[in-house]
Amino acid sequence: MTSLTYNHFFILSLIVFIIGCFGLFLNRRNMILILMCIEIILLAANINFVSASVFLNDINGQVFSIFILTIAAAEAAIGLAILVIYFRNKGEIDITQINQLKD
Amino acid sequence: MFLVGSFFLFAAFLITTCIFVIFSKNPVNSVLFLVLAFLNSTFLFILIGAEFVGIILAIVYIGAVAILFLFVVMMLDIQITTLMYNIKKYVPLALLFAGIILAEIIYLTVFKTSKVNIDTFIRSKNNTEQIGDVLYTKYFIDFQLSGIVLLLAMIGAIVLTHVYRPTIKRQNIDSQNSTTAKDRVKLLKIKPGEGIKDD
Repeated sequence: MTSLTYNHFFILSLIVFIIGCFGLFLNRRNMILILMCIEIILLAANINFVSASVFLNDINGQVFSIFILTIAAAEAAIGLAILVIYFRNKGEIDITQINQLKD
Repeated sequence: MFLVGSFFLFAAFLITTCIFVIFSKNPVNSVLFLVLAFLNSTFLFILIGAEFVGIILAIVYIGAVAILFLFVVMMLDIQITTLMYNIKKYVPLALLFAGIILAEIIYLTVFKTSKVNIDTFIRSKNNTEQIGDVLYTKYFIDFQLSGIVLLLAMIGAIVLTHVYRPTIKRQNIDSQNSTTAKDRVKLLKIKPGEGIKDD
């Protein structure tokens, strides 16, 4: 255990990913926390891509993680916009009522 | 040894802050812990030599996305609620996920030990130069497409949150440009002692 290997980073990203998934599943009240959990999951994917790219000495993984970053920013903007109009119409962001978005 | 020690420090911080993101009652605290988690992953990326992605992560996530979250959290009036009010329903799912993570960790640590050491690589170019070499040549189309995705997200967010109010007075550029001096200005000859007569 004296040198840093890819396994360290893979297990770390796995743990972060599972924490994000747990946040998605356990959270039933707050819609903004769901968006934050998606950000955590994308961060785990980023950690995995970048560390694999470094340890395999292949730059393509880091380029891909930049694209993941772009998509995450776009997703956050759209999700927060939907959240704002939902709050404007309903006055709350309770996740149990969100199936009323379709009418 | 320094590398491994700092890895474990930052990794422990990252996992702790991620847990705090999920379990804090106040959404503002969640956002701030999210910032801390991104900062820790930035440190991790810099630690293994991916400086460009690390700094971009700090700029994009901490500077833009987390601040966006913070604005929305502070703008909306959210009641502080507890997270888990019915946890028993999710115990089988939790056990399934725990089993998956345990199996993967055992598989990795026992059967598939990676022997690649980070100190053995000798890089001729620095990290930013390496990324720039492929980003603008091999991934040129993808680069442009990600720009279009960002533009689309911007337009979508504006269209979604824009409120149209018909009472607002707007500038009508066509009618402004089509007016001439005759419509606005009149030359009057005022005789002494008569004043201006209204038409």
